[in-house]
Order: sequence, then structure tokens, then C-alpha cells
Amino acid sequence: MASLDYAYRRLVNTLGPERVARSEFERMVYSHDFASLPKIALLQWRLYPDFVALPQTTEEVAALVKLSDESLLQITPRGGGTGWCGGSVPNRGGVLVDMRKMNNVLALDPDTRTVTVEAGATWKEVEDFVESKGFALPTIPLNAAGSTVGGSINSGSTGFGGLRGGSVRDAIASLEVILPNGSLLKTASQADAGGQLANLTPLFFGAEGTLGIVTKAILRVVPKPEISKPLTYAFPNLAAAARCLKGIVDAALTPYHAALMDRDHFVFDRALEADSPDPTDLALVAVQGSKDDVADQEKAMDGLAAKEQGTKLPPAVGDRLWRDRYNNYSARRLSRGLMVSYNLVPLRRLPEAVEKAMEIRDKLKLNGSVQAHIVDTTTAALDPYVLMDDTKPSGGTALGFVKRMGDAAFKMEGHPMGLGLFLVFNLRKMHGNATSAYSAVKGVFDPRKKINGGKTFEVWTKYPWPGLRAIPPPGMAIGLEVAAILRRVKPTRDRFVRAYEHTKEG
Amino acid sequence: MGLLRDWHYVEKAVQIPALAELIREALIHALFVRDDRVLPRDLIADLNRVPPVTVKVKEDAEVRKLVRVLNGQESTVSLGLSAEDYHYFRTQLGVGRTREFGVTMRPRTLLTYDWIVPEQRGVQLDFTGYAGIEFAVDGHRAIAQVGALWKRLYDEASERGHLVPFVPTVPLDFAVGDALYGDAPFASFRGGFASYVNALRTISAYGQRARIGFEEVANYGTAYDLLHAAIPLAGEFFIPLSAALRLEAKPAARKTLTYGFDDPAKLSAGLDRLCRFGPGVNWVHITDAVAAKILRPATPPEASTVQVSLGATTTGIAAKEKALDVAMVGFKAKSSETPNPYDVSADAYRKTADTVARSLFVGEVRVPAKSFGEFLGKVRAFGDQSAAKAGAYANLQETGSVSTYPFFSAPKDRTKVYDLSKGVRAIVTRTPGAAFTSRLAHLWDEEPNFLRRMSLVRSLKLEIDEAHVVQPLISP
Repeated sequence: MASLDYAYRRLVNTLGPERVARSEFERMVYSHDFASLPKIALLQWRLYPDFVALPQTTEEVAALVKLSDESLLQITPRGGGTGWCGGSVPNRGGVLVDMRKMNNVLALDPDTRTVTVEAGATWKEVEDFVESKGFALPTIPLNAAGSTVGGSINSGSTGFGGLRGGSVRDAIASLEVILPNGSLLKTASQADAGGQLANLTPLFFGAEGTLGIVTKAILRVVPKPEISKPLTYAFPNLAAAARCLKGIVDAALTPYHAALMDRDHFVFDRALEADSPDPTDLALVAVQGSKDDVADQEKAMDGLAAKEQGTKLPPAVGDRLWRDRYNNYSARRLSRGLMVSYNLVPLRRLPEAVEKAMEIRDKLKLNGSVQAHIVDTTTAALDPYVLMDDTKPSGGTALGFVKRMGDAAFKMEGHPMGLGLFLVFNLRKMHGNATSAYSAVKGVFDPRKKINGGKTFEVWTKYPWPGLRAIPPPGMAIGLEVAAILRRVKPTRDRFVRAYEHTKEG
Repeated sequence: MGLLRDWHYVEKAVQIPALAELIREALIHALFVRDDRVLPRDLIADLNRVPPVTVKVKEDAEVRKLVRVLNGQESTVSLGLSAEDYHYFRTQLGVGRTREFGVTMRPRTLLTYDWIVPEQRGVQLDFTGYAGIEFAVDGHRAIAQVGALWKRLYDEASERGHLVPFVPTVPLDFAVGDALYGDAPFASFRGGFASYVNALRTISAYGQRARIGFEEVANYGTAYDLLHAAIPLAGEFFIPLSAALRLEAKPAARKTLTYGFDDPAKLSAGLDRLCRFGPGVNWVHITDAVAAKILRPATPPEASTVQVSLGATTTGIAAKEKALDVAMVGFKAKSSETPNPYDVSADAYRKTADTVARSLFVGEVRVPAKSFGEFLGKVRAFGDQSAAKAGAYANLQETGSVSTYPFFSAPKDRTKVYDLSKGVRAIVTRTPGAAFTSRLAHLWDEEPNFLRRMSLVRSLKLEIDEAHVVQPLISP
């Protein structure tokens, strides 16, 4: 392996000194993603990259990838860092490629109804651009304000608009990817709207940056709807809100978005902002279309909510929630850290799933909120979050919540989302006998495991010695299970919000 | 269906010194039509060899056992055949093994043409008798065995309050599996068949049951989306047995509206507006006069007919119809009584399918909605020049693309299929934004990016099917 100084000089020669960082502080910033990690994780992985590189062009990305043949440093691509399972965090140092300088919206083609964007652009930036031209994105990931196009494609995101606009995968016409050998691949033929001509795009959807670095995406756009109206309904409990969401699909309605949030989310919100909505278990449904269409959908929604004893809330509540929809985790300010568990569960079992999530949260004595949204006619995303303070000894044990939630999702015939660095043990549970076929994909694209190696289907450690180079994925599961057990035996509940505690104990 | 094998065979054939002087397309032509003036006789004999054994599948255990026998993991004795069949099986499979042999799936109904390279020495699986459909008690989902007929799925789902969103653009009597290892053109207004597949139950090349995807939920965030990458070639990676399908709830009110157009420009403009219509449209089926006459012999056909299936609430359907009329402005005639090709009795559907199947199909052409009328005119003119009356079935997708299946009244011999395919390709190259996605078009394509993708797909197949059992790749 070339010396780090040599590697640094080569990187600087390629990108210039202003776009290569190696200071302690900058490296520290990139040593975690949205999930807060306990310091103990540093025993197992070298989470700090050796260098942070910020390319601005596809050619520079290709040059970085080729450089790793000389330096033998691992490459970790990263978008907005809004992931939650370590997919964009180094495990053996190396070069972290931050794609956020490649954030241009390059072109909008009204004829083919596509927009070409660089991978580092956030979804919110793309949305603002296409809306200014009279179009809209059919579907947008949840954390659109911080999540980049390349990042969310690599994490296989769900989000707003899925029921109506389809999946993020279906919204991608083609990708430009720098493969581990430094060559450029276009994943689908642009002329082939249906993706019949050897379309490789799906392989990169959810690949967590392990197959190559996405540099550009051609995304489909749809005409901007005439009217968009958010509706909110308060329910006596969260299961009733879940039944209402299921009712939407049973009634063959196709709102743009349908989600539920429990009252605890608003308790946290109120601790931060006094004028936030009254805490209640609610459903947020956004309907879009022509004036007549929206009126018709609203009437149908009112009827569905009424069946579950839902009360329609004033329009101001819906407007506020809709305006803040991309900023869902402000509760993090209460606790220093926050852990989100993303799971897909069958829509038919959503009422049971939200109750299970609340049960797990309460059993583990955590402060948190249960949220969910409809993904398609069979699937709901269940994405509860819990507050954690990783500076306290018990902070890291909140990770046990993610393990328990994942197990619960499997029991309900669903699955947790994301594998990254921490949740690789779920791969076999997800795919059973087909697991080897999934591992084969990495073998074909990156046989030398240069890009984001040691993740998704195996867990590398920072140690190069045989026997310690990798840990069996079930070992990670045991660690998280121990964390969950420690949470259960912890004598007291977390105390981040007094009002919240009062409600729970009352 | 056999695309990778055909593509691999052609790629290898062009490397043979004796054939290297032929340009790629001439070689494909010779292989496709079995031209004995160009190719050696031995090679043609190879190409004409069909699988010697056909197994009618009744349960998945049989397929597992078969794969294990082919892998040498089990003896032929375990197949439990009668003495006569056992002897035949051994003769065909076990003796004098000089080439790869494997398993291939026989589509129930093939829209276009057979593959260039048939399974050489292996076993063909016939799934006609493997046709169960299991609907979820709660939720809009079905698990259909690959032999299950689409029409049966459609009718039974409807009885249970579900809507099967995808319909065959060319109304033939397809089985569900024909979309996985055949060329059944299932699609809806909102997406292709793959969008509605949650998972496949398969048998891997090692004889294990392997589920690709998740039966009850979408498979986002679970590493590579192998399911959707593989679906167009599913039968070359795994042996698919059942598909877990995502259905929808049947809307409270449904209506099929039929619009007749006599001006191609107005038709194109109408379709271009229609693709921006938004929710409520289930499918949009388009036929020219020739196709309309086949589907509805009793009704005098318009030059072009667009049928739109609308679904909405009982109070909202009228507003949707009004909005649709505005989008389709320029139509010559409108009716809400004209039957659509799908909501008819199974017998009537089959009878129509038999008539439709007599035509010669060359595969799918994707045309931008605004060029569709013009494209149709060119295909018709080409048909007249070629003494093969042309027509087309098509469906509109909300992406603005019309998935078109041109057909010709001509005998289905391979030379004719090839010549007509080539003619359609010539039209497509002159139509901006259009793409020809037939199997022959895949073989012809020499665009470097496409070749790289195919090469990666081939490598993936060789990794996943390391045992060379599922339609193994062979070289000339």
C-alpha cells in the first residue's frame, strides 16, 4: 500500500487542495451518518476516513476510483449522509467521496418528460427546479431536504407519492455510474422507456454504493397537479389511524400521500415549538388533482376517517405538517441523537404493526414516535424513531430498538430496510436461499471489493489480520440483541421530555 | 426467453474465424432462418435440435428433483419413472454427455417467434398443469403459479373484489409465466408487468427453493433489486414457479370509454394529452382498423380506436369522463357501450385470442405518444409494400410512451419474420425517440453501452447459474 502522504499528494493533484480534506475535524464529521453511534464502535471499525474528496465532475470521480488501484485505499461514496445503517460510513478508513459538490440540475426535457441531475443534488433542489418549470417528481424520498439523488437511489428509499407515482426505482429512467474499474456505465437505454434493453438500473437501487458510484440520474417527471391539498384527521388511537390508511387502498383511492404519526411526535415538537399542533394520533393525507377531483377525494377521505371515529382537523394543521414534511426529525434537538428504524410491513397488518412498534418502544423504555406511510397497494413503511444520547453510557443501547423492530417486521412477513454496516445480519433472513445470488452481484461488478467493501453482505472490521478481518454477520445481531436486553433491564425510562414522561407514566 | 443464450451464441459465433468475415447482421439472419448456404450443416443440425424430454410439472418437488438429477446430486432412479420412461430419460440425459444440458421453460403462448438456439439436450418444462392461483384473504395480492392463465386470474380477482391492473396489450391466451420466460406483453397505464411483481418463487440452479423478493411487501432497501433486474430474463437465472402479484382494489365505479379517430395527427395529440391524465386510468388500449376488426368483427372499425378503462368513486366517475373527453378532443366518435377485449367471457376471450394469434408479430416498438399516428401510417405503408397487410395493437403508458405491437397478415415462416422485423426496425430508426425492443432487435444492437450491459448480465447469469442448469449458455 502506498503511503498516506503519497495518496494525499495524488488526490490533491487530481482534485486540487481545496477539495481534499484530511483534518481531524473534517474526518470526524464523516465518521457517522444519521444514526448516532456509540464510541465503542470505534473498537471494531475505522470510521474516520483517511481523506475526504469532493469531486465536481464524473471524470474526477473516475480518476478517484482509478487512483485507489495505486493507493489501495477503500472508497466510500456518500451523499447527504441521511442513511441510518452505516452504508456511507467508512469501515477501514480510506477515501470518502462526498458527492454533494455534484449538485447541478443539468436539463429538463419536456418532450421525454425527464430531468437530468447530478447525483449530489438533493431531492428538494430537484423538486424546486422541476416545479418552477411546471412539472413535479412522481415520488420523493422522506428526507428530501438533505437526501441526495444518488444517496437515496443507493439506499432504495421510499417516500412521498409512492401510492400514486410508483416507486423511486420506477422514476429512474437511467443512471450514469462509475464502476469499480473506473469506467462509465449507462444503466439503461434512454430511448427504451420501458427498460427492456438490458436495464441494470434495478441492481443499483438499494445497492448502498457497493457496485459503483452513481454520478448522474435521468429521472421521470410528471405534470404538476392543479391543486394539492393536505388533509389531517385525529383518531382515538394509532391503530384506528392505521385502519383508515388501509381503508384508502381498499376503497381504491389514490391520494398522493397517506401517512400516520402518533401523538408523541407532537409532544416532542411542542417541547421545541410552542405553536406546534396539539398532540394527537393523526393521519396526514395529501390529495392532488383538478378542483373537482380533489373535492371528490376529500369527500371520500372524510367518509373513511369517520368510519374509524376520525375527526377532521383545521386546514392550518395540515398545511403546517405538509410544509414541514421534509423536516421530520427535529426532536433530535432534544436528545443529541436519534435512531430511525425503517421497515416495510404488509399494509393489511399495519394496525398490528404500529401497536407492536409502540410496545417495543415502551418495553425498551425509550422516548420515541411511531410513524408510517403507504408505499403501494400491499406495502406500508413503518418508520418509528427513538431519541438517544450517545454521550451517556446507556445511549448506544437504543440501537437494540432497530434490531427488535426488524425482527418484528420479519414476523409480520415484511422486512427492515437497509443493511449497510450494522444490519448485514438481516441479509440471509431477507433472502434465504437466494442470498448467494445477491452476493454474486457484487462479485460481478466489484470482484476486488474496492468500493464500499465489507458491507451489505459481509462485515469487515478495521483489522487486517486473518481471523479478525471480518466478523460473521450473526455476531452483529448478538451485539444488538444484548443492547436490547440492556435496555430492558435498565431501571428507568429515558427522560428527554418531561411532558412526554408524564403522559407515559400517567 | 432465451435472449441471453441467443445473444451469447451470436457473440461467440462472430468470433469463429470461418464466420468472422460475415457481418453480424448477416450471421444473425443465417442463424435465424437456418440458412444452409451460409452455415455448415452440422451447425444447422444443432440449431434444429429440440429438447428430447418434456416434463409436465405438477408440483415444485418434481422440478427440484429434476434439477438435482441434472446436477448429478441425485440419481435418475429418484425420479420415480416407469421402466420405459426411465430408460428413455437415461438415454437422453445420462449417456454420451458432450455438451451442457439444462432445463428450459416452454411458454404457453408465444407472441413472436421461437428462440434461435433451442435447448440442446436437456429437459423442457411444461407448466400447463401447474396453474393454481391463491388470493390473499385480506389485502390485494395473489400468488399465481406460472401456468395459471391471465384471463382466469383477471376473472377470479374481479369476483373477489380485486383489480388485476395489468392486461395483455395483444389479447392472447397467455399464462402468467409467459411474462417471465416468454414474451407476454402485460402492462397497465401506470407501469409494466414487473411493477406488479412483489416476488418470485423459484427453484435455483442448485435445486433449492429460492424466493426472490418478498411476497407481501415491496423489496426496497434489501441490497440489489435482483428481482426487477431479472424479471425480463427470469427464466435464464432461475426456474420461476409462482409470482406474488400486487393487485389493486376494484374501484367503486368502472367504465370503458371508446374513442374513434380518423386523423392520425389528432390521435397523437389526444394520446399525448391523455398520458398526463393522472390517476383513474387503469389501461389505455389502442387498435388500428385491422386490429379492431379482429377484436370486434361486428362493429365497423374506425381508422384508430382508443379504449380507456376508467375507475373512480361513484360520485367522481362523471367528472373523470368529462375530463377525459377534454383530453381526447378531436375524436370522431365516442361510445361507452363498446366491449373491451378483457371483460368478456373466458370462451369469448379464447375465441378472439385464437383469431389474433393467426397474425405474425415482430415484437414491441416503443413510440412517443406524439409520433404514434405517424408511426402507424408508416407501418401500414410498409405492410402494403411487403404484401403483408399490417395492423397494430398498442397501449399507452403515463410516461408518454406507446407500447406498440405491429402485426402482419403473412405466413409465420422464419424468413418472413426476419424480413418484416428488419423493415420495422428501419421505420423505428426513422422515428425520433422510438425503440424496437424485440429479441432480434437485442441481437442486432451494437451500441457499446448496450453490449457492456448485456455482457454484465451474462456474467451475472454465469455467477448465479454456476451449475449451468437453467438454460445454459452454449457456443457454436
